[in-house]
Amino acid sequence: MKNISKLSDEKVVEIVRTDNKEIYAEIIKRYQTKLMRYALYLINDEHQAADVVQDSFIKAYVNLQSFDLKKKFSSWIYRIVHNEAMNLINKTKNNQAMSIKEFEAIDDGVDLEDSLIKKELILRAQNCLNQISLIYREPLSLYYLEEKSYEEISDILKIPIGTVGTRINRAKVIIKKICQKK
Amino acid sequence: MSKKIKKTPVDLEKTVMAKVKSGEITMKPRWYFVLGSLSMIGGLVGLTMMATFLTNLIFFLIRRRGPMQGWRLQFMLSNFPWWVPILAILGIVLGVWLLKKYDFSYQKNFGLIVVGFIIAIFLTGFLIDFWGLNDFWSRHEPMRRFYQQLEKEDLPSPGRGSVRGVQFHRN
Repeated sequence: MKNISKLSDEKVVEIVRTDNKEIYAEIIKRYQTKLMRYALYLINDEHQAADVVQDSFIKAYVNLQSFDLKKKFSSWIYRIVHNEAMNLINKTKNNQAMSIKEFEAIDDGVDLEDSLIKKELILRAQNCLNQISLIYREPLSLYYLEEKSYEEISDILKIPIGTVGTRINRAKVIIKKICQKK
Repeated sequence: MSKKIKKTPVDLEKTVMAKVKSGEITMKPRWYFVLGSLSMIGGLVGLTMMATFLTNLIFFLIRRRGPMQGWRLQFMLSNFPWWVPILAILGIVLGVWLLKKYDFSYQKNFGLIVVGFIIAIFLTGFLIDFWGLNDFWSRHEPMRRFYQQLEKEDLPSPGRGSVRGVQFHRN
């Protein structure tokens, strides 16, 4: 147990399943920040995101025996967070995302010429991201912010790799339109 | 924002691990998932067999009686055991619901599965009839009696007074 931090996720899961339940804390340590960030991209509410991540960790623990050790644990846990977030979004109907058509029809008059300060730029980038539809926001954030490969995104979202590429490309176009809008 | 994110996970770890240590949440045993998979596979196999056999019988009856005429179709429909396909559809809906509920972490294209399932049943049903399995079964036990009954009950045979313009009514 001394070199637990050097073990792969799958190995840690194996130990949790067969030997020591308390090692599950290592899994939480490894993923809590990443999953919180991911849930925040999806939900835009810190408390709800925390609830989603907590529920996901609990669900993952309860169903840990169903995890296939030959597969990637990170894709599995991200998938659970995705499902939990989608359940919440469907339940509360608080998804404020706009579709491309909706966006194109709106001119909010935001002037980016004044936004020279880095913080404001970041904030605007965040706002841009929040404005695009969830189906584009999710692969885009997984690719650029969570640094997941197309294959991993395909595993998490259960969509073909080609669709991942298409959605990311479209998302880039939409983001560009939003951020460059005068 | 980043400060808040850093603060929350510490609480998460404590909360979740407290539940694990206290036994408030427990891991479902491996047999639970094995049993779930087996019963789902068993149910799907049973449902597939039933649906395939039914489809095959339809092909068999259509082939035996030649091209459908209006009254024949009507007769066949009036005698068709509608509860069987209704039960099969309900079974598929239940199976999809169970798959979604049980297999929570791996999403599947359920629309494609259902369409594929229906096409596979029709194709298998047609092939069973095409390869002459119905003819073989109708001559051999234990299915012989079933086929005889089916032919007697479902459609009037040529030798049983099928006169043009006369409708057949069951007593």
